[in-house]
Amino acid sequence: MSKIQYRFKRSTALRFLSHLDQQRLFQRAFRRANINIEYSHGFNPHPRMSFALAMSVGLTSDWEYGEVIVTGELDCNDFMTRMNAVLPNGLEIISAKVCDEGTPSLSSLLEKSYYSLKVKLVPEINFERTNQIIKSYLELPVINIQKRNKKGKMVEKDIRPFIESISVNQEDDKNDPINVKMTLVYIEQQCVKPELVLESVNNLNGAIFIIDPTIECHRHKLLLKADF
Amino acid sequence: MNNYIEKNILPLVTKPITYLGNEVNSVHKTPNKDMIRFAFAFPDTYEVGMSHLGMKILYGLLNEEKDIWCERVFAPWVDMEEQLINNDLTLYGLESMMPLNEYDFVGFTLQYEMSFSNILNMLKLSHIALAAADRKEGDPFVIAGGPCAYNPEPLADFIDLFVIGEGEEVILKIMEAYRQWKKASGKRTDFLKTVAGIEGVYVPSLYKVSYDEATGVIVSFLPIVDEAPKTIHKQFIDDLDSSYFPEKIVVSYIETVHDRVSFEIFRGCGRGCRFCQAGMIYRPTREKTVPTIQSKIRALIEATGYDEVSLSSLSTGDYSEIETLIKNLVEEYEDQKVSISLPSLRIDSLSIDMLEEIQKVRKAGLTLAPEAGTQRMRDVINKGVTEENLLDTVRTAFEKGWGHVKLYFMIGLPGETYEDIEGIADLGQKTVDEYMKIDKELRNKSLKVVLSASSFVPKAFTPFQWMGQNTREEFKNKQRHLKASIKDRKISYSWHDSGVSFLEAVFARGDRRLGKVLKRAHEKGCRFDGWGEYFDIEKWTEAFAETGIDPDFYALRNRGYDEILPWDFIDTGVKKSFLKAEAIKAQEALTTPYCPEKCSNCGIMEFKEGWQCHV
Repeated sequence: MSKIQYRFKRSTALRFLSHLDQQRLFQRAFRRANINIEYSHGFNPHPRMSFALAMSVGLTSDWEYGEVIVTGELDCNDFMTRMNAVLPNGLEIISAKVCDEGTPSLSSLLEKSYYSLKVKLVPEINFERTNQIIKSYLELPVINIQKRNKKGKMVEKDIRPFIESISVNQEDDKNDPINVKMTLVYIEQQCVKPELVLESVNNLNGAIFIIDPTIECHRHKLLLKADF
Repeated sequence: MNNYIEKNILPLVTKPITYLGNEVNSVHKTPNKDMIRFAFAFPDTYEVGMSHLGMKILYGLLNEEKDIWCERVFAPWVDMEEQLINNDLTLYGLESMMPLNEYDFVGFTLQYEMSFSNILNMLKLSHIALAAADRKEGDPFVIAGGPCAYNPEPLADFIDLFVIGEGEEVILKIMEAYRQWKKASGKRTDFLKTVAGIEGVYVPSLYKVSYDEATGVIVSFLPIVDEAPKTIHKQFIDDLDSSYFPEKIVVSYIETVHDRVSFEIFRGCGRGCRFCQAGMIYRPTREKTVPTIQSKIRALIEATGYDEVSLSSLSTGDYSEIETLIKNLVEEYEDQKVSISLPSLRIDSLSIDMLEEIQKVRKAGLTLAPEAGTQRMRDVINKGVTEENLLDTVRTAFEKGWGHVKLYFMIGLPGETYEDIEGIADLGQKTVDEYMKIDKELRNKSLKVVLSASSFVPKAFTPFQWMGQNTREEFKNKQRHLKASIKDRKISYSWHDSGVSFLEAVFARGDRRLGKVLKRAHEKGCRFDGWGEYFDIEKWTEAFAETGIDPDFYALRNRGYDEILPWDFIDTGVKKSFLKAEAIKAQEALTTPYCPEKCSNCGIMEFKEGWQCHV
């Protein structure tokens, strides 16, 4: 029995997978790759596999982590080759390592997430104005948003601590959506969704960004507290 | 177009991944001008269609041909439909995303009557002319097959040609005819006349139907060209064991209705239940051998990574070597955590032992189908199951720890009385009593008995094809009476909307005059009639009224044995005289034995030269 942690990327072809779809996909890919995985014991056995983060529908990413417990010994290169041979176009394993039993779970190691979003501006707003707004937004010591908690009640939450930086960049073609880069920080495994940050900018300044599901959201990098 | 849809449309709809066609084992080819483009169309949602076995077989079979690219298309959900219309886009085949009207063939599978309105809707979204008569040179041929093609007449206006029976062999003959026709640069009508000569192909435009003006019944049904045969013989494959079955099947990313490898172990059924259309039209019974089944399943699991296999057939427990098969499969897959499921089991204790064998961990709910509440009624429908069988089975199940039992029934069966309705409640009560008799330590801590009663729909090619359906009022009274007859709180009761069943009865035994109604209902926005939230009986009622067609004529009327039925031109191998004899026996509650026990001469033995049942 050994634990394998791996880094993978997800591109446009599979960006519409839900978290559950992706779990199912990996589970089936393990079987197709003839990699035997461990199951939990008990009434309803589950495969022992997980991801550092649940990816939201629509997200593309160069940097995601997953882990799986396999039966017996398995070389990590062998793991990568076999998995990449069976994974559909749109998912690819970049690196993998075998770790000790006691290695902390991936989700407990989350540190920072680097995003890049392609967002359209509302017609009256230009790039320069957006730039100013973001600068003053980042100077706010507290940014409260309304959020539904687990019990379904609306509560106030300060998202400022999760935001490390935001920058906006214009594409060569000024008609294209602008590129918003965001670095967000995990605090006790919690963070804020980048779309929610844009929404709070809108709430504080009037409509700036056009927020709808056609925003393209991409993760460049995911930083862990320990080396991978 | 692909990029535009991916970026601007799909993010706005539910389940966007189902509109991309890039699943594991989906087939992508590089098209050239000689390639035949075939869109296999399932007139319901992706989740429903992707669970369908026939599509998987034909998709694999057609794609084996180098010069054919078979792709898939499903009924887009209402949000996607809205996007297609608002953005002036054409419904497309998933794999290549080519607009549907550019294909050579659009082939619909007809699984249930309630999907007919979706066919019209999909044609409209594809910008293909609804009426076959309005299609021009260069338009796709719209073809159809599947169980509802056994009464194709309600769709006669819209479909260029139907395949009657098992499609595996016929479809390749049609493709070959198409290659020749294309080479010869023939006209649309030439192609249709040519394929009309292929056994099992029905081209509705080559036939003329006349009706009696006073009564409305058919007086003649005749071909209008020499190429079209008077009778269409359904096609079946003699040697199922060596027949084509794909080694790879498309694996959906999203959860589908049947999210597993579904493997067909035999075709046909010799039980002869009189209400069951599948049991008649899929005759004769043909089995695959244990080694074939095992090796094909092995390949499919390797190719898909599924963790569940379901052994499919009309009555899985009737497979001659079922115990060996299950034992072998359990042995092979126990360590690999691949589970085996058995749908369509009959009621006997043997089944429980088998279930125990395959479900060593989980005791999911147990579903049984006595179909009727009294022995007399079960004899009428020739469901060869006794109350004792049922109670033995539930007792065994309760002893082994099951606690949730669902019993399926039909109401509105021929000759039904209120006593038969009360019998359903009684059977539920006796099931509860069996549970109570078992030691508290042994039995499951909670008990739930669900009685589910659907409204009976008489179908073509069954002994009940002449019978009028109950009225909606009768159904309502029977449902009310059943509900009142249930005394125990451990029993719950569920039923189906009789409006849907009524419409199903109209189309199941309708003729080509219904095309007008279908078109009218489509114009009013009817689609997804099988989905409770979209079924609108008001619109249908208006469509009947506006086209001057009386639905009761089709659903409620008792038909004479000498009447020409709309589907009489099809020969399924089971003789009409046999069906009539069965209908008469039903009136006296006389049963007919299971085929392997005694041949009742249904006609299938003489139907095809060289065919012999049970050898």
